[in-house]
Amino acid sequence: MKLLKQFWWILPLVFIAIYPVTLAGGSPYWSGLLIFVGIYVILAVGLDLLMGYTGQISVGHAAYFAIGAYTSGVLTAKYGFSPLGAMVIGMALTGAVAWALGRPVLALKEYYLAMATLAFNEIVVTLIIGLEWLTGGASGLRDIPPFSIFGLVLSNHMHYYYFVWAIVIIVIASSLAVVRSPFGRTLLAIHSDEIAARAFGVDTAKYKTRIFVLASVFASMAGSLFTHYMGFLAPDDFGVLTSINILVMLFLGGIGTIYGPILGAFFMKLLPELTYQIHDYELLLNGLILIVVLVFMPKGLFGIFTGIWEKMFVRADK
Amino acid sequence: MGKDVRKGRQMTEKHDAILSVNNVTKAFEGIHALEEVSFDVRSGHIKALIGPNGAGKTTLLNAINGILPPDSGHIHFLDHDVVGHSADKVAGLGLSRTFQLIRMFTINNATVLDNVLLGAHIQLKPNLFESIFRRGKVNKAEKVARDKAMELLRFVGLEKAADATPGSLPFGNQRLVELARSLMTEPKMLLLDEPASGLNDTEVESFTELLRSIRQKGITILLVEHNMKLVMNIADDIVVLDFGKKLAEGTPQAICANPEVIKAYLGAAQSECRLES
Amino acid sequence: MTDFSHIVQFFFSGLTTGSMYALIAVSLVIVYKVSLLICFAQGEFFVIGALTMVTLVSKGLPMPLAFVLSILISTVLGALVQRVLIKPIQNASIGNLIVMTIAISLALRGSALLIWGKESHILKPFSSGAPIPVLGATLQPQVLWIIGITIIVLFMIWIFFEKTMLGIAMRACAENRLGASLMGISTNKAALLAWAWGSGIGALAGMAVAPLLFMQYGSGVMPMVKGFIAVSIGGLSSIVGSVVAGFLLGTVEAYTIGLISSKFSDTIVFSLLMVVLIFKPSGLFGKG
Repeated sequence: MKLLKQFWWILPLVFIAIYPVTLAGGSPYWSGLLIFVGIYVILAVGLDLLMGYTGQISVGHAAYFAIGAYTSGVLTAKYGFSPLGAMVIGMALTGAVAWALGRPVLALKEYYLAMATLAFNEIVVTLIIGLEWLTGGASGLRDIPPFSIFGLVLSNHMHYYYFVWAIVIIVIASSLAVVRSPFGRTLLAIHSDEIAARAFGVDTAKYKTRIFVLASVFASMAGSLFTHYMGFLAPDDFGVLTSINILVMLFLGGIGTIYGPILGAFFMKLLPELTYQIHDYELLLNGLILIVVLVFMPKGLFGIFTGIWEKMFVRADK
Repeated sequence: MGKDVRKGRQMTEKHDAILSVNNVTKAFEGIHALEEVSFDVRSGHIKALIGPNGAGKTTLLNAINGILPPDSGHIHFLDHDVVGHSADKVAGLGLSRTFQLIRMFTINNATVLDNVLLGAHIQLKPNLFESIFRRGKVNKAEKVARDKAMELLRFVGLEKAADATPGSLPFGNQRLVELARSLMTEPKMLLLDEPASGLNDTEVESFTELLRSIRQKGITILLVEHNMKLVMNIADDIVVLDFGKKLAEGTPQAICANPEVIKAYLGAAQSECRLES
Repeated sequence: MTDFSHIVQFFFSGLTTGSMYALIAVSLVIVYKVSLLICFAQGEFFVIGALTMVTLVSKGLPMPLAFVLSILISTVLGALVQRVLIKPIQNASIGNLIVMTIAISLALRGSALLIWGKESHILKPFSSGAPIPVLGATLQPQVLWIIGITIIVLFMIWIFFEKTMLGIAMRACAENRLGASLMGISTNKAALLAWAWGSGIGALAGMAVAPLLFMQYGSGVMPMVKGFIAVSIGGLSSIVGSVVAGFLLGTVEAYTIGLISSKFSDTIVFSLLMVVLIFKPSGLFGKG
């Protein structure tokens, strides 16, 4: 039993590794779906670091998704950059933007912070639509090449699937490392009581900004991965509605747990597959899910699972 | 120049003020919370700050540790002028403070141990890069911090409560957790805001002993308190505030005998004064 | 070439959207003053009010009746939302409350999508009449209705909150809960009323501008955000400030669209919001 507890993470890893080849039977539909799941896991986990652990509400996380996506798209489709290089540039650009915004914006509280993040998301989207000559505007950006690493082109959906999930694993592992360290403890203290945290020597502005930069850089990576999978970009995918979708995933899965957003992303992306004509119901469903979570299960799905797990093990140990 | 002169210099240095408050003034919308308050706290001493409610004691602590800077005046801590410093900067200099209303970290079911460990932030200086790429170094430092935290919990008698949530502890024990957390920062001086409020007599006695041990370690204490028994037992000297002004300053005996202090504040507590002198 | 008639036209545009923003801003402030919550769902009442009236009119109801019924329905809806969804979690963290109002906005918008579909709906103007020529520009009669309704609503708010016991007690709620309950109003009842007011005013704003805009299920999002921008500029606790800021915002926006660029007017407006939030978060009229 103890071995299982320590190395449980091997199971999902094995699953991820063999899934496309075995269960999905090499079907591009399912591996494509899981690529999407992976991208949203990165987005949701990043948001968890910012909202769940540090307590900074963000209703505009898709802005950084957009900056990464469009930087990759524009640089590769229009200027012939290598996808890897474009992705790194996107990450650097997003990081710089987050770093510049960090101090002034994260000093704001609650509603003001929420509105500021929403405003920035809108600014990014309106700029994408407005700067047509660069981004293709509302009609979108086309002919984006698939991802390639030093000449090795990942046009095969399965290869890309492994590449995306390798990055997802890195993101998850880094996030777990951060939250299970004194840095993570400091973030939780900031979330709990900023004034008390400051009284204990925590430069709250510095730490908030740093985790914000990390979360934004993750989102940028997700954006680049998204771009090369889709082959084209449309500004609609990066608005406040997307930000809110990420938020719903985070709350549904269980905020402040890192595992929660992973669950949430799986659930929210796979659920529509099980119920067909969902598109028109998506808005209402998202709202209802969020309401149900907030009122009845604030710890999300992960909270329910750990509750059941604990009950099982407490009985076993007895 | 001989050993004696050097020794003499050392002795004067010991009596130097670790904290020096000079003409500190603070007003809130016309109300004078603090008016030209000045006093020193000698290194290694326990100084008590007493006075009626609303006298400005918490405002003064807020000014000293940087939460709410004064309108005018100087505050020197270890030769640094700390007026205008942010609270975290002041804490980094070695000045740790507890709050009148207990402020524990509670998110994600933080335990008593988690709270005390936060006190190590100043020494650990957590770093994002290291948290991801230098786990070995981080884990080693964390182990050292954990051992120290447990030691401090033992010091206050709460090592068994390490994994409990602070909210589940009785009030008096929460205050002890606060103390342990502050000591974790390896402070040179403690600002304690009514640490004995809500404690019963037995708890106050053991708390007094703790303060004695802390003083023995060389840590200076500025103590805001209403509990006169505690003050009389532990304070080396006392400063009295009333309506934002310094009313009196001196040894416990002198303060007890001061008629103005008795009139403004001590009143019924006078008997506690007499008991100790 | 911009000539004077354009300037006047932009002004009328600004007046129209300005009233809309002012009313929404006021509804946000009322809810905030009483229950310390900003309702992200406000835009949905705006839409629901308008679309309900469209439906009622299309079913043959006379306009005035449809008008009153729509207000009633939205008001009840707002009160219902407060009682069923906000009250149970009223002691949760602010983060959770904010997310809850976002959730409500999604649910309401999603419902509107299912009920009214994706098409735009048009409401007939309240009075038939040709556009009025003014100084070379044209003024739609509906704009006069909008201004009129705005003034009446503001007057009613003034009377209620300054002159009636209930209103004064409600104001007291945000500042002093115990004092308020001593004055004979429970905080629960006050919050309920505040939400009712808020949704009612939001719906009114929607109904008033519906003849001039194309209303569809998602039309409430931008007005709500712009309403919040007005509140940020005017001050979260100031009704007067929000009204002034709403008209200011509408006018600035209209002139920006007309004279500078319509592509980037939103970029400019949102950047303005960020600037205000960062440099003076309490707004021009609000307290710290």
